[in-house]
Amino acid sequence: MTTLSLRADPVGRRATVRTSAGVLRPYTLSCDGASARICLVPTGALLLAGDHVQLRVDVGPGAHLELVETAGTVAYDMRNASPAQACARWDVEIRVAEGGSLRWEALPFIVATGADVRRRTTVQLGAGAALWLRETLVLGRSGEAGGRVRSRLDVRREVPVLVEDTDSVDVGSRVVDSLLVIGFEAVGGMRLAAGGTLFRSLPDQTHLSSVDRDASSS
Amino acid sequence: MTTASSDLLLMLLSDARLPVAGHTQSAGLEPALREGLTDVPAYLRLRLRTVTRVEAGTAVVAMHHVRAGRPLGPVEAAWAARTPSPAMRTTSHQLARGLLRLAGALWPLADLAAPSSRPVVLGAVGAAVGLSPPSLARLVGYDDVQTVSAAALKLTPLNPAQTTRWVLDALPQIDLLAAEVAVLTAPDEIPASSAPQIEQWAERHAVATRRLFSA
Repeated sequence: MTTLSLRADPVGRRATVRTSAGVLRPYTLSCDGASARICLVPTGALLLAGDHVQLRVDVGPGAHLELVETAGTVAYDMRNASPAQACARWDVEIRVAEGGSLRWEALPFIVATGADVRRRTTVQLGAGAALWLRETLVLGRSGEAGGRVRSRLDVRREVPVLVEDTDSVDVGSRVVDSLLVIGFEAVGGMRLAAGGTLFRSLPDQTHLSSVDRDASSS
Repeated sequence: MTTASSDLLLMLLSDARLPVAGHTQSAGLEPALREGLTDVPAYLRLRLRTVTRVEAGTAVVAMHHVRAGRPLGPVEAAWAARTPSPAMRTTSHQLARGLLRLAGALWPLADLAAPSSRPVVLGAVGAAVGLSPPSLARLVGYDDVQTVSAAALKLTPLNPAQTTRWVLDALPQIDLLAAEVAVLTAPDEIPASSAPQIEQWAERHAVATRRLFSA
């Protein structure tokens, strides 16, 4: 499991970053008193049959974390694996304590034909915590029909904010590009009942997504 | 308190002549057709797997909460977190208001906060008239399928036997849905199956100037 925790320095000198590497290895790119920018780099080929990516992110009170990636992820054809192994999992557990924030412009997650992936992203936000979370699911590389992906997003503060099970068979477009913004300024998009905004675009090509344009007017 | 059979009560609640503004609804079919949808039976099945499943699950859990004397706030919050589209939430609140006005005049209902969602009000009505959880879930599924099919007749030239065939063909899936959600009791267990395209169409329809149905 990849774990990553950030604690603001009470005297404002340098925040404490603790990491442990799993399938993903965190590298600290920059860090100051309360904030850090950390890059997630895969340590091997991803995402293959039987893989189980686990990432736990813990942002302390008043700390600000930005996660970046070097490249998108491709989930490859899993049909040659034994039936019990012919799928992969991608689980992310995020906690942001009161007054903290996480910004993660995750890069596209591409589900090649023959891939079968279950993703689960759970987020627990403390009082006044902020979140900027991108998820771009793409069915198939260029010219492919794509495989199957089931993705659960479960975001809570004291009440549930957004709970969604997205199943690629019910999507109706090649790309589901979503950006969830809570506690950061946002104009437009779908206002959620419990606060926060969901920007979503359903294009046939990733670069045609309107999410960046819609959210940049924020 | 009434002593009518639960069959008759279910018929009453599922009747399109019930004055709850059902005729203003296409269950998203009008924007779907405008966006190029051609396969209405597939659309019915998609709804039963996604938005209608969320609604039926919410109704069943709400009814359980009323019967157990638990507050409905967490059920309402679970539904709202599973309904990211403000347009769809607004439609549900409007329909809930109409249903509440009618049902409140007929039965003693649990106390409901405003605005309530339609499935939560349906849950309260189900508890008041004594529906079983599978019956309540069937009511939600059947109403959705009939709403789409009846709207299809007004939106496109079709033979009424054709749309009734769609309803008939969808009934087994409604039964499966009802069996699945009837056992739910906790807000966290409510299905969260998302239909991003239906949401996007609902958002566009809410600001469309030329429309026959309100949603």
